This record gives sequence, structure tokens and C-alpha cells, in this order.
Amino acid sequence: MERLRRTMMFVPGSNPSMLSDACIYGADSLMFDLEDAVAINEKDSARLLVYNAIKTIDYGNTEVVVRINELHGPYGRDDVEAMVRAGVDVIRLPKTERKEDIYEVEAAIEEVERKIGREIGSTKMMAAVESPIGVINAYEIATASKRLIGIALGAEDYATNMKTKRYPDGLELLGARTQIVIAARAAGIYALDTVYTHIDDEEGFKNEVELIKQLGFDGKSVINPRQIKPVCDIFAPTAEEIKKSENIRRAAQDAKEQGLGVISLNGKMIDKPIVDRANRVLQLATAVGLYKEEI
Amino acid sequence: MDYDFNGKRIFLDDMLERKKLEIFLNIQGIKLDKNLDYTVGIYKANELIATGSFFKNTLRCLAVKSEYQGMGALNTVVSNLMNEQYKRGFTHIFLYTKCNYIRLFNDLGFYEVARVEDLLEFMENKSNDITNYSLELAKTSIKAGRVASIVINANPFTLGHQHLIEEASNENDVVHVFVVSEEASVIPFSVRYELVRRGTTHLKNIVLHKTGDYIISNATFPSYFIKDEENVVVVHAKLDLEVYKKYIVPALGITSRYVGEEPYCSVTKKYNEVMKGSLEKDGIICKTIPRLSINGKAISASSVRQYIREDKVKEIKGLVPETTYDYFISKEAEGIIKKIKNSKNRH
Amino acid sequence: MKIIKSSMVGTLESSDIQIRVEQRDELGIKIQLKSSVEKQFGKQIRKVIIETLESLGIDSCLVIAIDKGALDCTIKARVQCAAYRAVGDAEKINWEVIN
Repeated sequence: MERLRRTMMFVPGSNPSMLSDACIYGADSLMFDLEDAVAINEKDSARLLVYNAIKTIDYGNTEVVVRINELHGPYGRDDVEAMVRAGVDVIRLPKTERKEDIYEVEAAIEEVERKIGREIGSTKMMAAVESPIGVINAYEIATASKRLIGIALGAEDYATNMKTKRYPDGLELLGARTQIVIAARAAGIYALDTVYTHIDDEEGFKNEVELIKQLGFDGKSVINPRQIKPVCDIFAPTAEEIKKSENIRRAAQDAKEQGLGVISLNGKMIDKPIVDRANRVLQLATAVGLYKEEI
Repeated sequence: MDYDFNGKRIFLDDMLERKKLEIFLNIQGIKLDKNLDYTVGIYKANELIATGSFFKNTLRCLAVKSEYQGMGALNTVVSNLMNEQYKRGFTHIFLYTKCNYIRLFNDLGFYEVARVEDLLEFMENKSNDITNYSLELAKTSIKAGRVASIVINANPFTLGHQHLIEEASNENDVVHVFVVSEEASVIPFSVRYELVRRGTTHLKNIVLHKTGDYIISNATFPSYFIKDEENVVVVHAKLDLEVYKKYIVPALGITSRYVGEEPYCSVTKKYNEVMKGSLEKDGIICKTIPRLSINGKAISASSVRQYIREDKVKEIKGLVPETTYDYFISKEAEGIIKKIKNSKNRH
Repeated sequence: MKIIKSSMVGTLESSDIQIRVEQRDELGIKIQLKSSVEKQFGKQIRKVIIETLESLGIDSCLVIAIDKGALDCTIKARVQCAAYRAVGDAEKINWEVIN
């Protein structure tokens, strides 16, 4: 089953203490940023910091993502080479606008994988949509590569491109958010929401997380460890959801044991998406300690 | 780990930002120095909690709000300033600070060059560069009974300067002439040095040197944390003398220092007064040579520059040695003459 | 690789190390280290610096290092970057030896 990606914590690639400490906070994924968080004259030093950190530090079960600079600029290619060599889990593109952006980065990644003998396809990818054209092309982006595990929204740039700004209720982002979630679901990949920058506004943050959960997002980018727990709590299933899912799983197990082709529960047919969702719920519940797998 | 501090450049020609900074510094007991090329502010949310600046290769106006001291904000400030310095090509960096911060700056890789009592500490970011400078100087040392030294800016080299050097040359076995290498004058160091060289070839006991980064002019000396305006030149003089007595005198076996009498500039007059007192206390002869005058007027480099500024180059003939005059009427000097004409600064 | 100019990488913040590399005429790597944990880790820090430089084929330079408790991987990263900044611009990173 696919891993949880409820929280992706942004870590500036130029900060050695954050790079080494970040995994103690319990985020599902860590995103080391070589792009916006790093000043132009430190692109080279940040790349080497992240390269050495990934190679040396044990991040346990946390997924390691690196946001590279755009491929057409002076830094992107070197970023790809360094990160694939380091053994990064996922490469995140900045500002994805069309499927060709994905193709190009994939080609660059594959070239390095071949060069160093890393399993082709083992480096995953993630797209970040930050512009209107990216939103419009969300589905073609989401289906552009087998390596793509998720698609995210970068709201700061998006709002600027849309000639508006971010408001507390997030209405200006509604169109982009729904398009991205729809595309992600249709493509069978993850949908990740954007960062919330008002670190001290806990209430505002929780409201936003509730909203994106309702819209169907799988998780959210966070910029401060304090934001991790609220996301996990809000994404945690209710007791009722857990019970329902348990029953669905039992029904599926039953059907399997009896060699039946069809799963049914309480007179209703249960097809694959529902079983998958039930498993997902139980996975989420287990992650927050609300459920224990019985063998 | 701090996610909360962030650094931003402060532009001093933004009046509002400048005022805010001045208020911040005043609370910490220091003023904003008049010579600054770059300033950075460290903020927690929108509150300014630390700042630092530099002018050429010297760090100045460093301050951390008391509640935030001990949290590494100074490290952030100094790191930021040094990164910016390296970008600008300055790798040998100095700073002036109060004496009770020596340990703090040791931790950041700065080492003492010299200090003035309890007032001022002068530091550099290499642990032995001043000693190396001293050793290099010592290689040019000539063992003799009477070793004189002179420090001149020579902006440009005039008959007055030449006279001073000739007097010293006549009365001593060796004369070490130091030309101020700091680029704070309208005529660049390379030209000033060359004119000194050309104007002293007839003297056989002269050794020329550059002062290096350890001696700076009064115009650029950081005065901002010396409370009393008048005291600034005294502290400056004392610091220069510490460097001179600690590193230059022993390296060359100096027995005397020659200085030209200063009839015009009160700041220089005071500086020379302090110097005389301090040197004589340590047994070094300080000899003041009266200014050479022509037609009752003392020769000064600034009047030479003034003539050049007014396009009257021929008028300098009576004020400078032939070698200097030949330079200024040659094609070689065209660029410099233009620069002098365009400069609004009287230096 | 030959060091031809001065360079500096890193900050004075906690867990980092500031590395300055300068050209040196004499053969050999000279290190001036300042570290709050000199007693316990001074030797290790110097070892990492030297090994990293040697792996890049550098046999002569001056390194001025101010350590604020950096991990070995951070020291390596800073030294690698300082070395590349101190050589000619044409040098591209040789990933085979950086390993």
C-alpha cells in the first residue's frame, strides 16, 4: 500500500542544522528546497549540503523529497545529477506548466540513473503547479510519467499570477485546488496542498486543513514543526469511519477466503475503490495510534 | 534551530528605515557610522533584533538587542556580512569593537591586532596576518644606529614631502617611508606610490613600503562608538600608534619618526600631538619638520590638487618635484587629471 | 585540482562550519581550526577536511575553519564547495570522486 503523505515539511537546503534535525519532528515527508529558499550565490553550497546529508543521514521511514531549480536555468541539471546520485526518493519540480516539463526532467533523471547504475524508475517525481496554465494542464501533467507520485499546489506564486492575493477563506484558490484534486484522482496519484505561512495563526491553519481535507487532498506542505500535529489530527479517521472500514476489510477477507469474485456487505456490493479507501482509513488510523492491526 | 530569525538588507537611503535603525542603535549605546556600504537587519517576525554593517573591509555598527543576546543572532549577522564581503572580493576583514566583546568575536574567528586601553579593540579575521606583515617588514630591515620612519599619504607627492624625506635621509642611516595604501584619496595608491618612488631615486638610504590595511585615514576611522566627538582623533591616533609600536618599530629597529608640521588641519595637528607624546614616552624620537614654503606659503598637496582641478596644471611646477610635474603633463596622467577635476571631495 | 583564489563557504551558526580556502605556495594542506569542541573532535574534524581535499586531488592549500558543531557530512559539503569555488571556473564537479 502507498505510503502516507499527510505532511511534507519544507526545509531550506542551505541550513545544515535543519537538514540533520528535520526528521525528528515526525513529518511523513521532508522536502529539502534548493530553489526559492536558497540564495543565488549559495546554490552550489546548498546542493552539496543536501547531497552529503542524503547520502549520510538516516532519515528512517521519512520520505526524502528535493525541490530542484528549473531545468532551463543554470542550476537544474546539476541539481538532478547530484540528487539522483545521492539517492533521493522524489524529485519535485518547481513551476510545472505542461507535460513536456515532466518529460524533460524525467529524461534528465533517467540519464543519471543509467550513468550510475541506479534502478531506472527508482527516482520518483512530483509536480508543483503554480500558474494558471499549470492548473489547466493538471491532468496531462498528472499522467505524464509513471514516476509521478503526486501533484501539489504552490499558492503564493499562483495567487500573484492570478492577479489576486491570499485571503483567509481561500476562495481565490478554490478553482486551482479542485482542478488539482480532480486531476490527481483521475490519474491515481496524490494531491498535496500548499503552505500556510502565518505560523502563529493556529485557528486559521486548522480551518484551512479542514477545508482541504474536505476537498479531498491527501496532505499539506508545512513550514514549521508546530504545524505537523494539527494536520495529522484532522486527517485522522473518526471512530465510526474506523469501524466501517474494519468491516469492509473483513468482508473483503471473507470473500477472498470463500473464493468469491464479488465482495458484499449488508446487501451492498463493495468494489475496489471502496476497499482501497477502507485500507487507507485504517492506515491513517494506525499512523496516529487509533488502530492496531490484528494478525 | 531557529525558524524564526530572518535577515534582510537595510537600505540607508530609505529615510524611514534609517531612522528606525538609528533608534535601535541608540538604545544599544552606539551611533550610526557615517561611512557604510552595506547594512543587514535580523528580524524576528517584524521586530528588528540585531544588525551589522560594513564599510569596505571593516565590519561596523554591530548590535544585538539585549533580550536576544546569547542566541546566536550575532553569528547570523557576522555570517551574512562576511558572505557579502566575499562576494565583493574582500577576504581580509577587520572590525572595531568595545573591549568586552573580544571573547565573542574570538568565537567568530576574529583575532586581536591592537587595542586602545579599555576603549577600542581592533581585530582581523586571520590569526597571524599582522605578525606575517611584521615578519615581511623585518626582511627589509637594515641594521643601523639611526633608523627613521615616515608615514605619508602623498596625494600627490610634493616638494614638501620630498623635503621631509630629504631631511630624514640626511640625518639618519636608513629611512623607511610608508605610503598609505588605503584608497581614500582621489589619486589611487599605485600612482601615489610611484610618484614617491620617482621623487626619491636620488636618495640612497630610502626603503619604500605600503602601510597595508592596518593604518587607515581619519576620514574612514569608525567614530561611532566614541562618545566625545573630540576624542575620536585621539583614539584613532592611539590605535595607529599601538600598531606602529607593536609591529612596525621592532620589525625595523626604528629609532625615530619624522612628521611634517601641520599648519592647516586641526585634526591632523591633534593627531601629531598625541603621536609625539606617545612615541617619546617609549623612547622614540619624534621630529617635526617645518613645512617647506614658497613665497611665504607652506606647500600643500591640497593646493596642488586645487590647481589641477582648475585646469592650471602648469602652476604646480613650483610646488612639486620635476618627476611629479613630468607625470602630470604627460599622457599617462590624463585619466587621473579627469578624476581630480570630477571629484567633489576635497581629499 | 589547483587552488588559485580565496573562497569562503558556510556560516557561523550552530551546527555549521565556516571554511575558508586559500592558495599556498608550499606543498601540503595547512589547517587553522577553531572549534568549541577541539578537545573531543578536533582530530576528527581535521581528518575529514584533509580526506575531503585529498579526494578532490588537492595537495596544497590553507584552510581556515571555524566550527560550530558541524556533522561530518556538513564539513565535507562545506570543504567540497569551498574547494570548487577556489579553483578555475571551468572545473565542473567530478561526482565520481565526491562520493
